[in-house]
Amino acid sequence: MCENTNKNIYLPYLATVEEVIDETPDVRTLRLVFQDEQVRENFSFRAGQFAEYSAFGAGESTFCIASSPTRKGYIECCFRSVGRVTEELRRLEPGDTMGVRGPYGNSYPIEELFGKNLVFVAGGIALPPLRTLIWNCLDLRDKFGEITIVYGARTQADLVYKRELQEWEQRGDVRLVKTVDPGGNGPDWDGQVGFVPTILAETAPSADNTIALVCGPPVMIKFTLPVLEKLCFGDDQVYTTLENRMKCGLGKCGRCNVGNVYVCKDGPVFTAAQVKAMPMEF
Amino acid sequence: MQNYISQQNFNALLDSLISQGKRVVAPRTNAGTVLYEPLANAADMVIDQLPRRSGKEAFFPLCEDIMTYQKEGQKIELQDIDPTRFLETVLVGVRPCDAAAIPVLDAVFSWDYKDEFFLERRKKTTIIGLACTQADDACFCTAVGLTPADPKGADLFLTPLEGGGYACETQSEKGEALVANNKELFAEPNGYKPLPLAEPQTGKFDLKKVKAWLDEHFEDPAWDSIATRCVGCGACAFVCPACHCFDIVDEGTEKQGKRRKNWDACGFWKFTHHASGHNPRDQQPKRYRNRIMHKFKYYDDKFGQTLCTGCGRCIRLCPVGIDIADILQDIDKIEVKVKVEENS
Ligand code: SF4
Ligand code: SF4
Ligand code: FES
Repeated sequence: MCENTNKNIYLPYLATVEEVIDETPDVRTLRLVFQDEQVRENFSFRAGQFAEYSAFGAGESTFCIASSPTRKGYIECCFRSVGRVTEELRRLEPGDTMGVRGPYGNSYPIEELFGKNLVFVAGGIALPPLRTLIWNCLDLRDKFGEITIVYGARTQADLVYKRELQEWEQRGDVRLVKTVDPGGNGPDWDGQVGFVPTILAETAPSADNTIALVCGPPVMIKFTLPVLEKLCFGDDQVYTTLENRMKCGLGKCGRCNVGNVYVCKDGPVFTAAQVKAMPMEF
Repeated sequence: MQNYISQQNFNALLDSLISQGKRVVAPRTNAGTVLYEPLANAADMVIDQLPRRSGKEAFFPLCEDIMTYQKEGQKIELQDIDPTRFLETVLVGVRPCDAAAIPVLDAVFSWDYKDEFFLERRKKTTIIGLACTQADDACFCTAVGLTPADPKGADLFLTPLEGGGYACETQSEKGEALVANNKELFAEPNGYKPLPLAEPQTGKFDLKKVKAWLDEHFEDPAWDSIATRCVGCGACAFVCPACHCFDIVDEGTEKQGKRRKNWDACGFWKFTHHASGHNPRDQQPKRYRNRIMHKFKYYDDKFGQTLCTGCGRCIRLCPVGIDIADILQDIDKIEVKVKVEENS
């Protein structure tokens, strides 16, 4: 892990926006390169960790690091513009400067996934926190068994990482099941139609030697966990990430707790068993 | 080691610290309100009054800069804050309920990541505690394990004496240094009698029983009737010596400005409001539950202490008369009821 050499734990690294990619009409990816050479070389993170991204003058916003730790030299974040900070981040163009603090939080236990089959289940804008791990696993493809990705969004236009979905579809070593909510499909849609939990039930991946990784809006998670249970996934075979509002990311500001769990320190990655033990406060 | 200092010499001590360029923070009247503020003269101190807000501001200001930024075309320059600029400080007249909250805050700001803003100021601060001789109806320090004579958190602890002056006990190296450097102002104790201690309300609730109930009852119909009046003004958090939640905000223009750390309160609806519009604590009772849970369960689970020292400030100030000690008493009663039912 990269030791932040700043004594001031709130001081971000500066990063240059290298590339701006529009995923949907309101979801954008920024590819960022750290300006300081040492930070560029030493910044390392694990899939699942998050960062605080600054638009100076507007403030900071929390998102996962959406790129894979196996892809060196840059990081990516992906966000929907819904507030003051994200709207400012959206105004950034290639060459502009922004701030990044992190990496923070725990990560997926990737070593424990070696030798297992993986089922990724994502809904809407929640693909980025899994996409970091998906590429991490695909870049180490030999280490894993079968890889299944079930991804859905409200409409075709709301699917993020469209080029990568195509790439995954074309690879022989991944099974991609993409879906849109009923009514969200255009004439050219070649995927499934239905809500993610339903499509997951139809896909019916075997739970045998398999780990499921689920990210999505709270209602999707709520309906997906019982489906996995029916498919005989134990609560320790299922991982998810929680996304409470955060400010510090450091276990100080007191904002992100779910019961006595600090999402910024104890999470954001939790097993379904851990989530079920928490009070409904996320 | 025990020493005596007269009120006159104590003031002389503070004046000499002020003249040495130290920041001497003590209860002082400002526009009719007593607050912990830097003194220009020891004579301005009203040490016999409990300030409206706690002493935590000496290390954790209501609002502080954590960096500045400057934009020049596509480039941005950040300026760090130099912690060496924090002044050597002596915080004076801190009663046990305020002093005990300081180690509680230390735990938050030093576990894992170190908050140098807090810790540097803390390192540079000497705390002169004061045994408490005046309680009011709101005080309940004894119910949360403290006493009006508890020196916890103080470097030098004063006990007011009959006829004026103080008995002084050093509690740390900082306290010893303060006495050693000003030996001529202290005298041998000689038959002085302490003023009677304050007698805060006690026995309203049993902390262990409250914790045991909180452990099992995040969901409970009782919450619907607890603090329903709360209007979410956040005053209780702002006056509390132990509350430590904060916000990080930018203030300035696109060209230049500062990033600041400002006090925040879990009673505000926006505190947990997600950008998506979802709010896990979407109603005031849920927010108040977090206040109680954090103080009497979560903090205890994590750091083994209670996040309340019974100073009573939140009770005195709440605009709708919510009394946290009464709420804990109610919770204590529920627990009794549950136990009785189980036994029958
Ligand atoms: S919760 Fe109220 S009584 Fe307890 S320390 Fe805070 S302000 Fe004082
Ligand atoms: S001071 Fe009273 S009304 Fe204001 S947030 Fe606290 S409990 Fe609620
Ligand atoms: S985000 Fe500040 S404590 Fe978790």
